[in-house]
Amino acid sequence: MKVLPQRAHGHRLVGGGSPFTPYLFLLPYLVVFVLFRFGPVVGGFLTSFTSWSIVGSPKFVGLANYRALVHDPLFFTSVANTFYFLFLTAPTLIVLGLAFALLLNRPIAGRGAARVLIFAPYAMMSAVVGILWTWILDSNFGLLNYYLAKVHLGPIPWLSSQIAAMPAIALTTVWWTIGYNMVIFLAGLQDIPPQLEESARIDGAGAWQVLRHITIPLLRPTTFVVVMLTIINTFQVFDQVYVMTGGGPGTATLTLVQYLFFQAFQTFKLGYGSAIAYVTFALLLLMAWLQQRLLPSEVSA
Amino acid sequence: MRRLWSLALCLVLVSFVVAPSLPPARAAAPMDLAFWGGWTGPDGDVMHQMVDQFNKEHPDIRVTLTTLQWTPLFDKLLTSVRAGQPPDLMGMHSQDISQFSTLGILEPMGSMVTGAGFKASDFMDVAWKGTFYKGTQYAIPLDMHMHAVYVNTDMWKQAGLNPAKLPTTGDDFVAAAKKLTVDAAGRHPDDPGFDPKTITQYGVGMMNNHHGFYMWYALLAQQGDPFIAPDFTRTAFSDAKSNAAWQWLQDLVFKYHVVPVGETNPYQDFVTKHVAMLIDGPWEIPGLNTVKGLHWDTTTFPRVFAAPAAWGSGHLLTIPKQNDKAREQAALTLATWIVQHDQEWGNSGNLPALLSARTSAAFRALPGRRGFLEEQAYEIMLPDVTQSAQLYSSAAPSPIVVAAQAALVRDVPVAQVTQELRNRVNAILAAP
Repeated sequence: MKVLPQRAHGHRLVGGGSPFTPYLFLLPYLVVFVLFRFGPVVGGFLTSFTSWSIVGSPKFVGLANYRALVHDPLFFTSVANTFYFLFLTAPTLIVLGLAFALLLNRPIAGRGAARVLIFAPYAMMSAVVGILWTWILDSNFGLLNYYLAKVHLGPIPWLSSQIAAMPAIALTTVWWTIGYNMVIFLAGLQDIPPQLEESARIDGAGAWQVLRHITIPLLRPTTFVVVMLTIINTFQVFDQVYVMTGGGPGTATLTLVQYLFFQAFQTFKLGYGSAIAYVTFALLLLMAWLQQRLLPSEVSA
Repeated sequence: MRRLWSLALCLVLVSFVVAPSLPPARAAAPMDLAFWGGWTGPDGDVMHQMVDQFNKEHPDIRVTLTTLQWTPLFDKLLTSVRAGQPPDLMGMHSQDISQFSTLGILEPMGSMVTGAGFKASDFMDVAWKGTFYKGTQYAIPLDMHMHAVYVNTDMWKQAGLNPAKLPTTGDDFVAAAKKLTVDAAGRHPDDPGFDPKTITQYGVGMMNNHHGFYMWYALLAQQGDPFIAPDFTRTAFSDAKSNAAWQWLQDLVFKYHVVPVGETNPYQDFVTKHVAMLIDGPWEIPGLNTVKGLHWDTTTFPRVFAAPAAWGSGHLLTIPKQNDKAREQAALTLATWIVQHDQEWGNSGNLPALLSARTSAAFRALPGRRGFLEEQAYEIMLPDVTQSAQLYSSAAPSPIVVAAQAALVRDVPVAQVTQELRNRVNAILAAP
């Protein structure tokens, strides 16, 4: 006797069809992913072995672009600047993001408003943020210098000073993106069962001990994600730099992606630009690997 | 009832499909032309008006003008050529011709320009020469723009200076700039006790980006030195003259304190009366004309050394290569019409390259052009090099921006600025 398919019992509304059915649902995304993500990634990799100025056909040059990078002082300047930017922003974004989250996870007055205010800048477009801060930081009529002048400091030509330009962009970036980290940390904090902290407190643990031995260890998966995303995002900084300083003054804020853009789209050396992109990718991969080694995502007792 | 509704709906839908296709059935469809240019300020408004006028006069052609900043516009140009859909007419600068003709995307236009009835003697000499690269003409000249000095005449009079005698020499310029620079206690740079930290009004506003390099280039030419050797393989300026040029500019900022250190927006500083003079191009004229209560005049770029010279460039109109000869012809019609109406383009601030437009009563009557008109004959353009995008880029890591900012923002010793500029330019020129 033939066994009726399960569907007949009404337990499964979908299924029992072709095993390819789930993939059919994934197909629309897959098409977009292959066309606009994976395709360009492979294309860019191949381009990095060519000499190509968009028009005409690419000429295969082997490793010449990568070899030229080794002798390009501007490339090393941009690597150094990128790490400097990472150093200026990432620790602040992570620690301050966590601090905001811890503070705004407590039942304090004005909590909702504070959460919105801290997160709101993140909803702005990068170009808007860049232009806004260019005006705030302006040396002659900027808001910041206006108040600095009141306390007899400055005016500091923030964006046109060799020393102040990168910190100014870092400040802008922290203001712009800190809310994102805060929200992820908040979500992580709300996943921690309150009983754990309560019982620790009953056992006589102080606020610092609770934070040190309960909250931070249990937050580790979240921290792992935040650290990873922060490093990736800050390492690929471009918009703010492009809008606010264009990489200047001199080469003071020339970052990797800014330099990539300059080579590929301002001097039309697509192959060389692609090579910079792949070195950037390799550096990021290396950092992700190091992070995995140094900061395991698993919660250990 | 339901059937009636669906019938009505069908009728509406059908009318949507049919309606737009009806008018062309009566008249032949006009040819659509794409015209691109980087005029994103008030100059863009003037060009849009001109294109509207052209469209009215030419029912068979319908031109769409797209304006975008030059750098992304050039990226768009290359990708559009790659896609086989280049713009029909493209605005450019003289210094862009070498790069894009070398990339093979510009149509030689010598016979087209002659065919349209233009000849060399119709244009300012510098502008005409700027349309050639290696002996081939690739464009029709449209205008010229160069550095000159804007002067706020109210501030000028307040400082006790004579508005009938605007400075032309470097010494007069510096002397006036000092009188126009005032600290919180009302002292000037040469007065005892003058405090540069409390300056409330500066004598001069000037750009410390690629325009800083352009000023150096002009001061080098004033001393008779070329920037690049005639064979385009290496730099050709002497250390001494380069240093003297950088030093004069650097002193304005760091010795005389007549220019704000690290100035980010000289035009805005001039409008808001933070600076009394402004070294800039004529493209600021339409904007300044809209500022209420600002009275200004123009004078020549400072003549610091023996020969007068100021950096300048020019817009020109060029036709990217395409297979459709009818479109090419229509693009030429458009370009010819625009150049013939060059005096209207003069409203954009740029100076007409066409001599008859430049000398027309309508153009001469426009206010504030004096300094630029006097400078026009001494305009010098950047040398044509195939690596122009790399060398002359206005983005930070280009050698000219790095040099200008080293000298004018970072106060690096001028001998070092000269050396680094020479090394980087030579490296770019030596690369294939």
